[in-house]
Amino acid sequence: MLEIKKLTVRFGELTVVDGLDLTVEEGQWLMIVGPNGAGKSTVLNAVTQGVPYTGQILFQGQDVRRMKSVQRARCIGMLAQSHPAAYSFSVEEVVSLGRYAYSAGLLSGRGDEDEAAVETALELTGMREQRKQSVLTLSGGELQRTFLAQAFAQDPQLLLLDEPTNHLDLIYQKQVFGMISDWLKRPGKAVISVVHDLSLAKACGTGALLMDRGRCVARGSVSEVLAPERLEQVYRMDVYAWMRGLLSQWS
Amino acid sequence: MKRTRRLAAILIAALLAALTACGTQNGSGTAPETASQAAVSEAAQAEENGSADGSAQAEENGSAEGSAQAAKTESAQEEAGQAGEAGSAQTAENGPITVMDMTGREITLEEPAEKVVALTASDCEILYAIGAGDALVGRGEYCNYPAKVLEVPSVQSGADTNIEQILSLEPQVLLMSTMAQTEEQVAQLEAAGVHVVVSDAQDIAGVYTAIELIGALMGKDAEAAEVIDGMKSTFADLQEKAGEGSGKTIYFEVSPLQWGLWAAGSHTFMDEIAGMLGLTNCFADVEGWAEVSEEQVLERDPDYILTITQYYGEGPTPEEEILGRSGWENITAVQNKAILNLQNDELSRPAPRLAEGAQMLYDFVYGSGD
Amino acid sequence: MRTRSDRFSLWEYALFAGITLAVLCLCVCVGSVNVPLRETLTAVAEALRALVLHRERPSGLGAAIILSVRIPRVLCVALVGASLALAGAAMQGLLKNALADGSTLGVSSGASLGAVIAIAFGVRVPFLPFAGTTAMAILFAFFSLLIILGLAYRMDCSFSTNTIILIGVVFSMFVSSLMSVIITFAADRIQHITFWTMGSLQGKNYTDVLLTGAALLVCGSVIFSRWRELNAFAVGEDNARHIGVNVRRVRLLILLAVSGLIGVCVSVGGTIGFVGLVTPHAVRLLAGPNHRRLLPASLFGGAVFLMLADLTARILLNPVELPIGVVTSLVGAVVFVIIFYRSRKRVKG
Repeated sequence: MLEIKKLTVRFGELTVVDGLDLTVEEGQWLMIVGPNGAGKSTVLNAVTQGVPYTGQILFQGQDVRRMKSVQRARCIGMLAQSHPAAYSFSVEEVVSLGRYAYSAGLLSGRGDEDEAAVETALELTGMREQRKQSVLTLSGGELQRTFLAQAFAQDPQLLLLDEPTNHLDLIYQKQVFGMISDWLKRPGKAVISVVHDLSLAKACGTGALLMDRGRCVARGSVSEVLAPERLEQVYRMDVYAWMRGLLSQWS
Repeated sequence: MKRTRRLAAILIAALLAALTACGTQNGSGTAPETASQAAVSEAAQAEENGSADGSAQAEENGSAEGSAQAAKTESAQEEAGQAGEAGSAQTAENGPITVMDMTGREITLEEPAEKVVALTASDCEILYAIGAGDALVGRGEYCNYPAKVLEVPSVQSGADTNIEQILSLEPQVLLMSTMAQTEEQVAQLEAAGVHVVVSDAQDIAGVYTAIELIGALMGKDAEAAEVIDGMKSTFADLQEKAGEGSGKTIYFEVSPLQWGLWAAGSHTFMDEIAGMLGLTNCFADVEGWAEVSEEQVLERDPDYILTITQYYGEGPTPEEEILGRSGWENITAVQNKAILNLQNDELSRPAPRLAEGAQMLYDFVYGSGD
Repeated sequence: MRTRSDRFSLWEYALFAGITLAVLCLCVCVGSVNVPLRETLTAVAEALRALVLHRERPSGLGAAIILSVRIPRVLCVALVGASLALAGAAMQGLLKNALADGSTLGVSSGASLGAVIAIAFGVRVPFLPFAGTTAMAILFAFFSLLIILGLAYRMDCSFSTNTIILIGVVFSMFVSSLMSVIITFAADRIQHITFWTMGSLQGKNYTDVLLTGAALLVCGSVIFSRWRELNAFAVGEDNARHIGVNVRRVRLLILLAVSGLIGVCVSVGGTIGFVGLVTPHAVRLLAGPNHRRLLPASLFGGAVFLMLADLTARILLNPVELPIGVVTSLVGAVVFVIIFYRSRKRVKG
């Protein structure tokens, strides 16, 4: 579905992503992992045309760079890491924005299809009760679910998630990952997410990509990529021992 | 009524000052040094005069407040022989000169000044009028009369005044007004040995005092007296010819409609001269210079209009512009085309040319035939 | 939580229009000179009849005051107020910053710089006598916006409150020193420049009304048609990109429209601060942040606010006129502090 060839992103002198290749197919959940500053989020930003890059990003064979913004948004959605709110939009207003890519004319209102998509998204994320609430009064988890609902309403084929459970309580982590798993079960969908939590990556991912300093260190199945020697090479510590140590506290 | 008007004048002066000062917000910047300051100073002056009741200048000169006070040495007064006017100087051949400037500060010079820097346009005019123009070594940015003054190097004005440049010109005396300079600037100059003299005429009598003061500083008392006598006789002559006047009204326009209508109210030179010529200033109820309502001009229906708008040789002349204003066709002055444009600050500067300006206004109103 | 529908109903629009019309009538009937109501009405009726039947316009003092002085001025004020408020609302949405406005960003200062240059050096457009000032004001408003936002973006890649305010202040100072420089070069025109920078809505004629009206119609429709995108920007620029907004093009379009509005307003009435800042904020409290409601409500609110401010300026110290900027700034400064305080508290809390 998505094919990235020789992606390179430079900020001035600094090379953040260096010749990265990547492919994602339908039904896949690709986990991009790696230490801080590896360039994981930048890869997602390049896909949504948020940063200038060299190389090619193809969506179903079509160059994403050449796609119109609206067309791109119908194919690729993205959930950002944080959502600082400034104005008291209601949850419903924010979720409806997800239908922007489908709004026909300049002055036309929302159609039945839009209404239905918004309803479903609110339903899926459990935000139906709070639909009239101002986003300024939401908790971090509710805010994240609101924007996830927006992404669902956008109904893309490929969903990009930038650390979707960052700063979230365990309960929300579980909820959000559950919602995404459900969504992924629909036909013709795929997910790429950047995650810090290696256990979550292991639990949900169908494939993984390990990055370090802008380069791809390993790609393939989750168990292959997250092999002990690979992680030790990138994180410079015995990740498995650390994880087991943490878990043993719970037994 | 008077009280509210004075309050209004204070308020406007303060607001204008604030507007000028915090120019960033209102886009006015530091630029409007001259005109707005002039406006502010006019308002402030009007205020000051208002408190002194404005009518008797001599009274003000003699008032205990010490403003516009002149030091009087009996002998000097006799010598000068200026009846009725407060002499501002003690002059003795080859002796030290002591003067009291118009804020009541006492200044002593060993001998008449040979090098002077004058920051206000009016002081420059006075210097030239008493034949002391050659002593002028530096001028304020906006001094423009007579034409010769433009050859003198400019030392800028207001907050931008170039103190170093002034010092390098080595004047004995610096002439300035109360509004334009800061106290720090004055202190710097005095510390460097320059005598700072303030001339601050609020009315025609104040102009006489300023001329006398400058005459004394320059050792040109006789010439100063001559200039004053010339002015006085012109004014007396005009006043006599005008008599009671016709009771006609005049509107003094300081800024044209395009930039907001500013009029000269009471306690301005224009107002004082209008009174002398038997004319009534239609905005006598306004203090100093103020932005007035266009509607009021229409309603007050002046018989004459005097505008001091500058004309830069393009577009309609100030007279044509007034004649073309929509809604103004009902005004008597517009119907009679009785509009005078004085371009060269004749009636807005406390300088000897006020007499010329008065003459021009008289000729315009009563005709120059007689 | 109150429920808010997406757009205003027809009767709500009728209410806004009614209030605006009532204030307009009040401002035409009350002024420095007391013209009896009957005379006012007769003058207006006769003028309308004359317009339709191509007859002579009514004459007389009352008619002259109402038709030549008051009506064009009040109309101008209403249009300028509406334009400034609309421009402010658009900027606050676009930059996701409730303190953004032509005057806080320094765009108005930039526009006045353009106008001052036009006055100082006699810049003119052939066949259009006063268009030089207007064209320069619009041009400079746009370039000021580009410079300010470019700087803000380079400094911290966002349009955060602190950066915006800081750059606005620095830019305004820079512009005012440039103005001083220009005035040194054009010392002979100091009189015009000084009185111009003080700003005044006196002496407005129907040409000014048409000019402002046309600018509002063109730039206003651009802004109105982009309410969806403005909502997206107000939620967040990155989010706007994610949902498919062509961020760069829409931003440029809105900035152009805003510069057009601010440029025309500055050339017509000088820099009038705070209208564009305060009106959308007050409206947002009542109508919510959705631009489909915020934009039209700001339009009416700005017109009403500025008309009332102008009325105060006209009659408070009669026959003296207060600069309108003084009235709006007095009200605006207080509200500005409140907004800033509240937004700070929100960040901390």
